[in-house]
Amino acid sequence: MINMKIDSTKKHNRNDIIFIVALLLIATFGALYLFVFRDGGNTVKVTVDGKTYGVYSLNENITEDIHTGNGNLNRLVIRDGKAYMETATCPDGICVSHKPIFRDGESIVCLPNKVVVTVTTTDTDSPDVVI
Amino acid sequence: MKQRFLSIALALCLFVCGGACSSQEKTKYNTYSMDYFDTVITITGYEKSQGDFDKQSKEILDMFEDYHRLYSIYHRFDGLNNMCTVNQLTDGVHPTVKVDKAIIDMLLFAKKMHTVTNGKLNVAMGSVLSLWHDYRTVGKDNPQNASLPPMDKLQEAAKHTDISKMVIDEENSTVTLTDPLMKLDVGAIAKGYAVEQVALALEKKGVTGYVLNVGGNVRTVGSKPDGSDWSVGIENPDGSDYIAYLNVSDMSVVTSGSYQRYYYVDGKPYHHIIQPETLMPAQNGYLSVSVVCKDSGMGDALSTALFCLSKQDGLALINSIAGAEAMWVAEDGTKSYSSGWNKYVKK
Ligand SMILES: [Zn+2]
Repeated sequence: MINMKIDSTKKHNRNDIIFIVALLLIATFGALYLFVFRDGGNTVKVTVDGKTYGVYSLNENITEDIHTGNGNLNRLVIRDGKAYMETATCPDGICVSHKPIFRDGESIVCLPNKVVVTVTTTDTDSPDVVI
Repeated sequence: MKQRFLSIALALCLFVCGGACSSQEKTKYNTYSMDYFDTVITITGYEKSQGDFDKQSKEILDMFEDYHRLYSIYHRFDGLNNMCTVNQLTDGVHPTVKVDKAIIDMLLFAKKMHTVTNGKLNVAMGSVLSLWHDYRTVGKDNPQNASLPPMDKLQEAAKHTDISKMVIDEENSTVTLTDPLMKLDVGAIAKGYAVEQVALALEKKGVTGYVLNVGGNVRTVGSKPDGSDWSVGIENPDGSDYIAYLNVSDMSVVTSGSYQRYYYVDGKPYHHIIQPETLMPAQNGYLSVSVVCKDSGMGDALSTALFCLSKQDGLALINSIAGAEAMWVAEDGTKSYSSGWNKYVKK
């Protein structure tokens, strides 16, 4: 009885250790993935009236006020890897009610303000500032 | 026993993950203003909330408004002596004008830059530059009637560009232009100088994680919250690609290009950077010149001066200034660099 109990505890311990090692490995690789690949991932490209307005990384939380002229404004928010239009001055509000986008090729269109937000995969990171 | 192990393992997971995700605590915010310096001001900053960012960016824009009002050569403001007031004539002479210290300091800096750039950056060129400004404005509004300022008018104006006729009395905080036909044009220096002053004020307050971009004068304040450098893309004039991709913190990047402001006469483009010797748009074979250095005012002055210098003379100038580097983009797209430029290029 006593021997058996000890055996079973030992077995438990070994399983626990395997389990912990596995968890740690997953956590470490997860962290490495976040560190190494966070910049190289997807980006969203914003165009206004067909012209490129800006390119933003989906791996960073960003709030961008897109001024489209005549006092019109679309506020693009990137949070937790997804992009959505938080507010807009357009009369229909279709862009604001659009679900958050994150898959390659998905887009949000604001026809009245001529704003198109598209998820793209680019080789180069989007710069913080462009001159 | 098992539960304890599990909780330790979970805690470790959270710890490792937390370390990886901690830099996402702050959000990157952007805002724009088109109200000052006749250009677009972009403010980028990392803050914990929209409210924090709005507060900080308003403070920044308030500072820019003050500098804009003081340095404007086109707009007058009630009860304020600014650069317009310095340029005005009363009974045929420029009166001695008492001005804010921010004007005195900027003009002293301009004088210093005149010496450093061997006269290529000359704020006393106002009479010449205002001729170009007037003809460009007419030509842009009415392309059919676009013409060049007549050379005899330009040469007459060029007789009144002696910067020693700009007399600054620091003690009494006054400026006097002793040549009645002379005018100051601070367009090639005031923007960059103002950006630097705003950045210095932010640094003094301990602000980090901000980038100011005032019509192509980029100044980074601190690094990003995770300690990494800012990436600055210098765009191709046609917007197709980046001609350079830099990594900088606490530095300025300024580009002067023939594509930034120009007008057409008989189908030929004439840009806004005027060569002091020829009084015509500088033709040294460049599409643009970019400068990286600490001081944004210095960067502004240097990029203009380099645009007016041959490659050889420009290289000598940039090498004479510690911590400044430059990139020249020729009209055919060929790029050349000063020796230390590469250390700012994103690897
Ligand atoms: Zn909309």
